[in-house]
Parts: sequence; C-alpha cells; structure tokens
Amino acid sequence: MSDFFLQALTEVGSPAVMGLIILGVLFGIVGGSIPGFTVTMAILVVFPFTFAMDPVSGVSLMVGVFVGGYSGGIVSGVMLGIPGTPSSITTVYDGYPMAQRGEPGRALGIGVMASFLGTLISVAVLVFFGPLIASFSMNFRPWEITALIVFALTLVAGLSNGALLKGLLAAAIGLLITTVGYDRNSNLRFDFDLPALSSGFEMLPVMIGVFAFSQLLGNIEKMRDEGTNGKSVDTNVTIPYRLIMKDMAGQKLNTLRSSLIGSLIGALPGTGGTVANFVSYDQAKKFSRRPEEFGKGTPSGIVASEASNSAVAGGAFVPTLALGIPGDLPMAIMMGVLILHGITPGPMMFEQNPVLVGAIYASLLIGAIAMVLCNLLLVRWFAKISLIPQQILVPVVLMLCAIGAYALNNNVFDIWVLFIFGVIGYLLWKAGVPLTPLILGVVLGNNLERQLFRALELDPNWLTFLTRPLSALFLALAVASVVFSLYQDRKVKRLQQATPSP
Amino acid sequence: MLTLTKDRALALALLLIVAVMWVESGTIRPPTSWQPYGSALFPRILLITIALLSIIILLRSLFTKVTPQPSLGRAITEWFLRRKTIVALFFLFGLYAALLPVLGYIVATMSFLIASFALLLGIDTKRKWAINLGISCIFVPLVFVIFRFGLNVWLP
Repeated sequence: MSDFFLQALTEVGSPAVMGLIILGVLFGIVGGSIPGFTVTMAILVVFPFTFAMDPVSGVSLMVGVFVGGYSGGIVSGVMLGIPGTPSSITTVYDGYPMAQRGEPGRALGIGVMASFLGTLISVAVLVFFGPLIASFSMNFRPWEITALIVFALTLVAGLSNGALLKGLLAAAIGLLITTVGYDRNSNLRFDFDLPALSSGFEMLPVMIGVFAFSQLLGNIEKMRDEGTNGKSVDTNVTIPYRLIMKDMAGQKLNTLRSSLIGSLIGALPGTGGTVANFVSYDQAKKFSRRPEEFGKGTPSGIVASEASNSAVAGGAFVPTLALGIPGDLPMAIMMGVLILHGITPGPMMFEQNPVLVGAIYASLLIGAIAMVLCNLLLVRWFAKISLIPQQILVPVVLMLCAIGAYALNNNVFDIWVLFIFGVIGYLLWKAGVPLTPLILGVVLGNNLERQLFRALELDPNWLTFLTRPLSALFLALAVASVVFSLYQDRKVKRLQQATPSP
Repeated sequence: MLTLTKDRALALALLLIVAVMWVESGTIRPPTSWQPYGSALFPRILLITIALLSIIILLRSLFTKVTPQPSLGRAITEWFLRRKTIVALFFLFGLYAALLPVLGYIVATMSFLIASFALLLGIDTKRKWAINLGISCIFVPLVFVIFRFGLNVWLP
C-alpha cells in the first residue's frame, strides 16, 4: 500500500502534473462559478485535452477540475445569489444574505475553508473504504455484477425528481445506444447499412451531446424566458482571515458531520452533491442551538453546505473505483475518462493499477490545497468571471465541445454524433426525461451486457440470478428502490392535491 | 380529437423507434450452436422495456386532464417560433459540422462563432461587434495552437 502511494506521490508531485492539477482546479472553480456551467460541463470541456496525456497526468487534471468545480459554486452563490452548481443551492441561503449585509469576503472565506476540510475528510473516507469495498467485491461473479448494475440504474432512475417512469426509460435508452455496432461476438447490430455506424457510438460525443449541448441550449432558453444575465455586483472582495479562523474554530462538529454526510451520500449511486447539500444543511439546522439564524447569513449554514458538497467528491470515488459503478453524473464522466485511458474501474483496478489509484488520492489532496490557495488569492477574479453572460459562453463552449469530440479520433463523424445526440438530449429534456440515467446507461451498457452474457454462458438458467444470495439481494434492492420511488411520487402528489392552490 | 401532449408525443415517438429497431434486430446474426443466447437478446430486452414504459406513459397521459390546444400544425409552428433562437443555433452547429472538413478549422470555426455571437448577442451596436470579433479572433487561433502544438492533435 505505502509503496504504490509513494510511487504515485512521486508521479503526481512532479512539476508538470502539479501544474496540471492547479490548472484543473482553476478551470473547475471558473466552471463552478459561472451559473449554468456546471462541474459536469467543466469536466466534459477539459476531457479532450487529456487524450494526448498519460493516464496519471490526464486523471490528475480531471481530479483537479472535479475538486475545483465543487468549490466553485460558492462564488456565484455568494456574489449573485445564484447557485453556480446545483450542489451549492443551500450555500445561497446563508452566503448571499451575509454578502448582502456587507461581508462577502467572510462568506466566501468560510465556504472555501469548509470546502477544503470537506474534501480532506472525504479523501480519508476514500482511502479507508475504497480498498475494503474493492476487496469485498473481488468475490463478485457475473451474476452479482449484473444485478449491481441493474440496482444502480434503478436507483438513479428512481431519484430523478418524481419521474420514475421517464428515469427508467432514459436508462434503457442509454443502454440501447451502446448496442449499436459490433458486439463482443463480432456480430453487427443496428448499423442500418451505414458503414459509419458499424463501430458504434463513442461514449464522449454521446455524453457531450446529451448533456452539455442540451444544457447549454436550455440555459439560452431560460435566459430568454427570464431575462436574467449580467447582474451588476460589487466584486471588490477582501477576505478577513482572522475572523474566518474564529468562525471555523466554532464549527468543528458541524464540519465533521457535514463532511461525513457528504462522503456517505456521495458514495451512494445516483445521489450526489445536491442531495448531500440539503441533508447536511437540514441536519446542521436540527443540531444547532440557534436554528432561527439559518437562512439569514449564519456561518453554520455555509459550512454545512460547502463541507458536504465538497466531501461528495471523495465519497463518489468509492463506488466508482471499487465497484465500477459511478456515484453521480460527474463521476460517470470521470469513469468515461478512465475507460478512454484504457483503465477499467472496478475491484481489479486496486490490484492492476495501484499507482493510478494512489495518484487519484494524491491528486485529491493536492487539488484540495490548490483549491484553497486559488480561491483565497484569486477570489476577486472569480467573482468577475462569474458575470460572463451566457450569450458569450454558449458558442465558445459549443465550439470546444465540437473540437473535443473531433480530437477523440480525428473524425468529423463524432461531431455529427454530438450534434444528433444534442438534438435528442434537448428533445428528451423538453419532454421531462431526466438525462443522468441515460448517461449512466451509456457508461454502464457494455459492462452490463458483457456480465449478463458471461453469467448466461456459465449457466443459461435465469433463475440463478435469484438463487445466488448477493445477486438476489441487489435485485431485491432494485425492486425496492422502484417501489419506494413510486410511493414517494404518490405521497408528493397527494400532498400537492391536499394543499389548496393560492 | 386527441390533443398531442409532451408525454404522448414522447411515447409515440419512442414506440415508432422501437418498431423500426425491432425490425432491424431481425437482421442480427442468430446464435451459434455453442451460444445459449444470441446477440439480439440484450437489445431486444431493452426494446421491450422501452416499449412497455412508453405504453404506460401513453396510457397514463390518456387519463390526465389536458387543456385543449390548437391544431397539431399550429402547435408545432408555435413551438418552433418560441424557440427560434435554439433552432437557429442547432442549424448553425449542423452547418459548422458540415463545413468543417471543407473549409478547415480556422475558417469554419471563426464563421460559426461570429454567426452564433451575432445570433445571441445581437448586431445593433459597434460594441457588440467588437466583442464578437474580439472573442472569435482570440479563441479560434488559441485553441488551434493548444491542440496542434501543445497536444499534438491535428485539426482539419
């Protein structure tokens, strides 16, 4: 363990890789600070730049973006009152009122420190639980892995904001996309006599098209409808370091609790930063001696929100690295990065690529330190960047997406794939179909089919999935997650009907 | 007459796609003697799942009250008119993908950015034109240099 970690530290500690992590953190913060430009999109835009890099450099850069992105949401949340990312919604509750009463530097400083501590605690969780889960899952056979993937997909679909049916539909569409082209037995499927389709769709252009394209156009639509953009705010921010240290000293328990909540929720497939954000904010309020101060600019609220959403970063790596099941959307993209670099996340990764696992740990740690320094030193600039209007951002990001898709194979067909899936993603989004299960389906599709067929080749009896205890448990959990979502949907509908409309 | 809602349009479109893909799945090579199941099994399971979910969504939409809407043609026209900027941006991107191999990266990308900024920012003031041309002229060569010389990726 220590040998591979030392080797990883040597690789990650080289000036070139350190520079990449800092660049990644900077870009992540910028991405997180611009409302409408999420962590996921920042990862997607940077992703193509890693093609020419070795796996350690590429993954380190992406981890930097990931760490920076989760902390970046605080800037626009505090300065504009608009959460930069969905995972920093509750930061606005207290950060914005604090900034409004003339203390934006204090709000930003508390948020940054909480983010830093949240990331550190989540790395500890990853280091401790990652190998444990990986060694446990080494016993998984194809039946268990198939059932686990099905469970992850139903869980993500079920958590899609009361749209269970559409969530399941999205997951199935995502899986279906992966069946185009040659399969593992070299049989051609769904090529419609078009040679370009014989090699199937590359994961990256599909993900960029479905997610980034539709979201960017959605931002334009929202901007047109609401007429929001280019708020005028004072970006002249000074960080009161002593006051922040005093504030943080009184938040030890809150920081630890919120970080653990974030790590735990991050490790659950399908949840992610937004859920962690609300749960830890709620818990901080319940445990507080002065709950009436929440929502009016209390440091406790900012700490709960930022510690938890940053802790999601480390937590989400646990199932991704140990099981090959991404915890949330940014993690699904991260998994795509690893796959494109020839690394298959899962229990074997700890045995076959220990240096890379160590590099991820080290990058998270270095990224957290870089994040604090960048945020505290350059906060004024980030505040200015958060004001970039969508009219300028969207064409530039679309261009970068197109070039990124092209650079994957130096093939214009991939730009067409991006375009077509952009249209599909936009239409599905307009029809209320959640896109996260679709992307997860695209990421997990090939593995699901491979494991299913391996299971059926070993034993053609489908009932074996139910007679093996662990696979039966995962399938039962999958059914339970669907039933629970249905129950939740009904409960929400009943509550809505019972509440008289204004 | 039945009103076309979002859910109904989604379900019907998916059922149509499932039907086409089901027919196409018939061309997939059948399993060999040593294979218990063939290559068509997995996609067919997914097609059946999508069809079932689409039918449930369609049936559910039939039991949901909807406000009467104008004729289908008018509804589609209104939908496009409300989103003319989005539709135009999609069109520009499609045009960009088509022209990229013909014109090359620099000319095609610069044209795409200038046209997109003009669409989104407007063209009514000199300041907007300055922003448009300034960003287009900085970003396009910058990205070219990064990819070509920094990452050794050849752009068209």
